[in-house]
Amino acid sequence: MDADATRSQLAAALVRVAGGDRAALRLVYQDTSAKLFGVCLRILKDRSEAEDVLQEVYLTVWRKAAAFDRNRASPITWLVAIARNRAIDRLRSSAMSRRMEPIESADAVSDPSPAALERVELAQQHQRLAGCLEELEARQAAAIRTAFLDGATYEELAARMSVPLGTMKSWIRRGLLKLRACLER
Amino acid sequence: MSEDDTIDPAGGASLVAAEYVLGVLGAQERREVERRLAQEPAFAAEVALWEERLGGLADAVAPVAPPANAWSRIEATIASGAERPASLWQSLAFWRGFGIASATLAAASIAALAYLGLVPGTRPLLMATLGGASGQPNFVAAVTASGNSLLVVPASLLTNDPRAIELWLIPAGESRPRSLGLIQPGQPIRLDIPPDLAGRLTLDATLAVSLEPPGGSPTGLPTGPVIASGKLTKL
Repeated sequence: MDADATRSQLAAALVRVAGGDRAALRLVYQDTSAKLFGVCLRILKDRSEAEDVLQEVYLTVWRKAAAFDRNRASPITWLVAIARNRAIDRLRSSAMSRRMEPIESADAVSDPSPAALERVELAQQHQRLAGCLEELEARQAAAIRTAFLDGATYEELAARMSVPLGTMKSWIRRGLLKLRACLER
Repeated sequence: MSEDDTIDPAGGASLVAAEYVLGVLGAQERREVERRLAQEPAFAAEVALWEERLGGLADAVAPVAPPANAWSRIEATIASGAERPASLWQSLAFWRGFGIASATLAAASIAALAYLGLVPGTRPLLMATLGGASGQPNFVAAVTASGNSLLVVPASLLTNDPRAIELWLIPAGESRPRSLGLIQPGQPIRLDIPPDLAGRLTLDATLAVSLEPPGGSPTGLPTGPVIASGKLTKL
């Protein structure tokens, strides 16, 4: 199935979920749970925590599907945002102390994008994002990717890449502004 | 603010939305953003825009099949009716639908308050017994003599639920719940009421308790199931 058909099928299912249709929620789960579990697992690095959060995510979808606006958001982006927010909140909660993963140098920060991205049939919008990321300095792009994928704070990113906090904030903020300018061209 | 925070004088304020979406903010900053999300539509739109802009970064995450029983857990929770659609939260009728707690519980609450040494002042003591459906946990709450704080006593212990327990005030004649903060399942707690809400702890205001993610509701409104609610009445 192509991306557009998947997208509209998912959007239609979310509309049905908003009306209290459990079978529609199951469809949404079948189509998206592996993606969202991957997102949660990447942030939390712990299967049982990720399972808990995944459950919270779909209960949130059940309750809040009415807030999904298909004219404003793509369904998978909306779902990923819920998953990331729940996972990051769990990560920040006192219940789960962050296991720091020190990385000695900026070079060691994994940049998962190119190979992984090529495997996926990208929506046009995502191709533009990839193109705009390439326009950033490599370390800016790496910091932004790591922040998004791992849900790492400025402090954690600065420690991992062994740069002062102010430098990290500067990289990311400048990078975000450049990204926005590039995407709006 | 350090000079590190003023790198971009033009875009600094609007970048908070981007920083929230990117995930670099700490827990307190995230809660502040979530409060704004609930109250500022323009800001919420900015966050939604950034979610669309950055969402493609998630393409780099490989899907991982969740455990086979994950769906049945979700389905069972929904079937239990503990999860309700969000629109009900804004309905005053929904809040009023909860029954008044039993006389037994009220008596227990008075004993609890006496035990805690809460002495009524010159003003009438306002209190509420917070009941849920049968078998669910209950709380009692009393406005302290100063009117600026609220004493909350759990009348029964919750099970070992990892979720946070958040107390809400729905002022009399209003429908929107206002957070009063997190409470503890197993011990009495005294909550200081923000000045803008203290005056609204009045007769017929409703108190309610909901289960929320760790750290409390991310949206500024209840997101989890209501486990107890009740109205403030004169003791």
